[in-house]
Amino acid sequence: MLLIRCPYCEEDRPEVEFSYAGEAHIVRPVDPSLMDDAAWAEYLFVRDNARGRHYERWYHIYGCARFFNAVRDTVSDKFSMTYKMGQPRPTDAEITEANNDGLS
Amino acid sequence: MLSEKNRTILFMDQGVHLAPIMSGETEADGVTLINVQVRYSLRFKPEDRVAVQKLSKIDLPEKIGVSSIKNDKMVLCLGPDEWLLIADLSRKEELQQTFERISSKFVCSVVDVSHRNTGFSIRGPYAETMINTGCPLDLSIRVFPIGRCTRTVYESTEIIVLRKGEAEFHVEVWRSFAPYLSHFFEKFMMDVSVPQRETGGGK
Amino acid sequence: MTGFRKTGCGRIAEAQVIHFTFDGKKYEGRKGDTLASALLANGVHLMGRSFKYHRPRGVMGAGSEEANALVTFDRGPGRVTPNVRATTLELFDGLVARSQNNWPNLKFDFGAINDVFSMMFPAGFYNKTFMWPKSFWDKVYEPVIRKLAGLGPAPTAADVDHYANIYRHCDVLVAGAGPAGIAAALAASETGNRVIVADEQNELGGSLLCTPGTIIDGQPAWQWLKESIEILKSRQNVTLLPRTTVIGYYHDNYLGLVERLTDHEKNLNPDKPRERMHRVRAGKVILATGSIERPLVFAGNDRPGVMLASAAQIYLNRYGVAVGNNVAVFTSHDSAYEVAFDLSDAGVNVASIIDVRPTVSEVLLEQARKRAITVQSRAVVCRTQGRLKITGVHIAQMQDQNIITRPTHIACDCLLMAGGWTPSVHLFSHSKGSLKWHDDIGASVPDLPNENAVSVGACNGTFGLTAGLDEGAIAGGGQGKFSTSATEFGRGQTWQALPTDRDPSKIKAFVDFQNDVTEKDINLAIREGFKSIEHVKRYTTTGMATDQGKTSNLNAVQIASKAIQAPVQQVGLTTFRPPYTPTSFGALVGYRAGDMFEVTRKTSIDGWAEENGAVFEPVSLWRRARYFPQGGEDMHAAVTRECEATRKGVGIFDASTLGKIEIVGPDAAKFMNLMYTNPWTMLAAGRCRYGLMLGEDGYIMDDGVIGRLADDRFHVTTTTGGAPRVLRMMEDYLQTEWPELDVWLTSTTEQWAVIALNGPHARKLLEPLVDGIELSPESFPHMAVREGTILGVETRLFRVSFSGELGFEINVPAHYGRDLWEALIKAGEGYGITPYGTETMHVLRAEKGFIIVGQDTDGTITPDDAGMSWAIGKKKLDFVGKRSLDRADIKASGRKQLVGLLTDDPDIVLEEGAHIVATSGQSVPMTMIGHVTSSYWSAALNRSIAMAVIKDGRALTGKSIYIPMPKKTHEAKICSAVFYDPKGERLNVV
Repeated sequence: MLLIRCPYCEEDRPEVEFSYAGEAHIVRPVDPSLMDDAAWAEYLFVRDNARGRHYERWYHIYGCARFFNAVRDTVSDKFSMTYKMGQPRPTDAEITEANNDGLS
Repeated sequence: MLSEKNRTILFMDQGVHLAPIMSGETEADGVTLINVQVRYSLRFKPEDRVAVQKLSKIDLPEKIGVSSIKNDKMVLCLGPDEWLLIADLSRKEELQQTFERISSKFVCSVVDVSHRNTGFSIRGPYAETMINTGCPLDLSIRVFPIGRCTRTVYESTEIIVLRKGEAEFHVEVWRSFAPYLSHFFEKFMMDVSVPQRETGGGK
Repeated sequence: MTGFRKTGCGRIAEAQVIHFTFDGKKYEGRKGDTLASALLANGVHLMGRSFKYHRPRGVMGAGSEEANALVTFDRGPGRVTPNVRATTLELFDGLVARSQNNWPNLKFDFGAINDVFSMMFPAGFYNKTFMWPKSFWDKVYEPVIRKLAGLGPAPTAADVDHYANIYRHCDVLVAGAGPAGIAAALAASETGNRVIVADEQNELGGSLLCTPGTIIDGQPAWQWLKESIEILKSRQNVTLLPRTTVIGYYHDNYLGLVERLTDHEKNLNPDKPRERMHRVRAGKVILATGSIERPLVFAGNDRPGVMLASAAQIYLNRYGVAVGNNVAVFTSHDSAYEVAFDLSDAGVNVASIIDVRPTVSEVLLEQARKRAITVQSRAVVCRTQGRLKITGVHIAQMQDQNIITRPTHIACDCLLMAGGWTPSVHLFSHSKGSLKWHDDIGASVPDLPNENAVSVGACNGTFGLTAGLDEGAIAGGGQGKFSTSATEFGRGQTWQALPTDRDPSKIKAFVDFQNDVTEKDINLAIREGFKSIEHVKRYTTTGMATDQGKTSNLNAVQIASKAIQAPVQQVGLTTFRPPYTPTSFGALVGYRAGDMFEVTRKTSIDGWAEENGAVFEPVSLWRRARYFPQGGEDMHAAVTRECEATRKGVGIFDASTLGKIEIVGPDAAKFMNLMYTNPWTMLAAGRCRYGLMLGEDGYIMDDGVIGRLADDRFHVTTTTGGAPRVLRMMEDYLQTEWPELDVWLTSTTEQWAVIALNGPHARKLLEPLVDGIELSPESFPHMAVREGTILGVETRLFRVSFSGELGFEINVPAHYGRDLWEALIKAGEGYGITPYGTETMHVLRAEKGFIIVGQDTDGTITPDDAGMSWAIGKKKLDFVGKRSLDRADIKASGRKQLVGLLTDDPDIVLEEGAHIVATSGQSVPMTMIGHVTSSYWSAALNRSIAMAVIKDGRALTGKSIYIPMPKKTHEAKICSAVFYDPKGERLNVV
């Protein structure tokens, strides 16, 4: 059972308190009516299936009940970092730094 | 608002009946069902917290997982903009007036969840262990000190845990899960009532 | 017969005499024995029959690695455990066990004919043989294989014990309490860290338990052990868990530990859990799991009486049992010499030490000479003798893997084998730590950890007592400057299969004893083209038995490596997976057995329903009253009566399970507009509206009546099963797409008990009980909500109808639910009030054509498909799912649409789920155009009714369609789904 750091609770919490919520940074179009069918289908259905680094959302449903973002390696299952909803996708440098923090 | 306690002829039933073994051996240990209390889910913007606190004179902890306990009134900060207030039934009218004052001044949500949850008091040297039969959090006092609270799980059931004393916890669970949760506690009580085995090596 | 019990040896020799039964025969043992040690003390080596060939087998080891001595442990009905290792089964007075996989008995086993015909059972035998004819699969092959091959029989009675579980947290978990583990625990606990020490054995101490002669820091080993344990016990921050196996090591230092609580107890307390699963989260894990001795692979190495040298040492020095009177020792490692010397010193004759290595250390030779033990180097046991027990061995000289002398025979009643040591890296591997191959010990050892873990002692390839103690102590944060009398741990050489003087096709040299895999099987697999050890494993089944290859994996990989002529690293090592040892289902389930497996949610009114004979049905996690039979009614009769009573008088229904969400805040209406298809802005406070919720893909996800209590407050209801996912979806959009909205969502499902009153008398019944709400149709119209009190209790009263009758839904705080229900029943006596369940609710709504999301919809139904385009706010710019409704394929013709069906024969009630075709008489496979979604007997119409989704169904209104069933094809006409009171006049009853 993984430990996941909730950026709101600022604690490592057991995986059973969380629920996975799909890929992160998929933003709902401000005006969906302006999109053609292909673009809308892309938004609706097409997701990354990354081997390695993956940006994803988790829901601390049995905790503070907040959705948040995470960077996780899909091969090792290691989380590099988690961050609050609304924060931008972290840069490579930030992820590397977070990984190093995790190791120290 | 109406005061039901003076007017109704209907009875309340929390739907939980604890086996005799649950009462423990002394006053200081065992599991008891807490009488019906009033509970409100308070939601407002974190930036309004200090002002709401000032207006309401209700202590509203800033940090998730921290509670304030004063007399019979407990406020648990469960999320960045979420507080659960639990108080004695007699406080109902006074609290409702307070909430009306808050609602008129702040963007907020106050929802009565008094009957949604059922509360258990768990006391005794094994209180921590009992909750840990199904709750995966580290409840040791240094990690989960007095006053600490959180929403979490017991197996697959959502619960709220609040530490009221070194060996005293308050556990809240949704009404229809309460008998299920109490059965786990009952099984644990049966297990601890069996004479303790020797630990350590050898014969 | 106690001739093998050595007075003055072991920890239990003088202990209390107890009695036990094996295969129906009574024996004497000592308190502290295992079944294996007690049987050996009685001279019994034969303890089982092998898996495939039914060969007689004796005990091979002394711990959880045991591959041969599997027995059935019988504590009476509901307490029968098959495949228990005799080496780990603690003896108690009155213990009953029996051998397995033999008929009619252990000494004469009919199935041993398999051994005679063993040429028929090569590697991959099952894959090759039982392919055809297909008709033989379940009639011939499976029953025969099951009878002849296999382990102990599965228990026939349900387990009567109960099991416990607990989460624990610690700073340091020490797995294994041998010398390295104890040293680690002592050091780690000194500073106040929370330390858990788990060991699978009943006594902590590991290898120290069988090396009493050693001195540690000036003290005899047993004294040092005793004092160390006393120190650990005295520390509040230490938890010692003997009889506790670390079965698995998972992510982020999460480990599963199974503690056995009662299997060793004579007086079984049935109230006590049998086992407890500790789910441990550790800051740091110190693995001190030791190592397991490897057998040698030679002809006849499985004969009873052939066992690991280390096991003989444990039996002698821990249990005071000599494994024989005349013991031969066959070794490729120095460690066997110490065993031979201990046996000799205890008065056992050591017939010979046969060492495959060309040279042996002069120190050992000198020690042997002192004891008059002959040592033959560069020698090999090329075969063994004896049927149910070894009687002798043939020894020859060898050179370059070839026998070069004529074998000589020596007699023995036990042969010890010592093929070197395999570090127990299982747990380290579970945690995805990487391994590296060490040629000098012929084994893999931990390389890079994937977790905060450190391996110490023998499991790390660090052999020798002093080194192990030091490594343990340092890992625990201590100094580790132990001094001991232990000499340097000896050396060994690893060997593959050893040569024989016999026709190789006629002998068997076992690698995996439990699964009966021989050296020849592995070579055959390689010849047939398998190159990876993972494939060899699956083809030959080596390492796949209940012992998971603890003694066989390294021999298998080295034989494969030699056959492929590739280094071991290239052949690979099979993956270790949890659990480390076989684990009971009970331990995995813990407290969640039987009724506790999953919650049964009950409403506050459930008790009344139960007392009044309701038949229940599960609806998501809830149980709901389905109908209330009276006087022997069946469901049909009860539902017909309930329906009639509701339509003609008044029915009462427990609707408490409906999901409820309170949506509060100045942006509540704005949020509602985005989440539901309907328009909410203009809905006045005090009014309700049916709300339809779509997924972003445009398909119906949920529905419910929603009341506006105030400008900024909505009381939303959802389907019973949909409540959690609706709230989750709302929170998701609110938090991640529209966080700027000032609105909050609170689940109130359990806050309110909901009692629905439906029927022409509903208002008359309610009126005298309610205060503060004017119930007249003018002031409280259909689809309105009011707050007031009922019998003095606050209520949210909805005027809504899911039946087509005048209807009210009374919400009161849940703890009042039952008392209010009873008060309403009493008040309704004069109106013939009738409680009804979910079945009647379904019939009444189907008569009105109201859909049930999840029954009439299936996740591919749009509002238009369901005939509910009216629920879409046409002027709304956006709501979840809106854009998808414009997709070309959603607007295309040919979609399935919800319609009503009336069967030509009014007495036929169609089966829900039945397929629908356009014409009768089609050949199979027919072209399906839809299916029946709801189907009931309608009491009001005195005929059957049904709802269905049919391709372009609305355009087919009036047309016939066909429902082919196994016995008959039914014909039905498509009609409107509103069967009853299409104008809705019944709502207007005054």
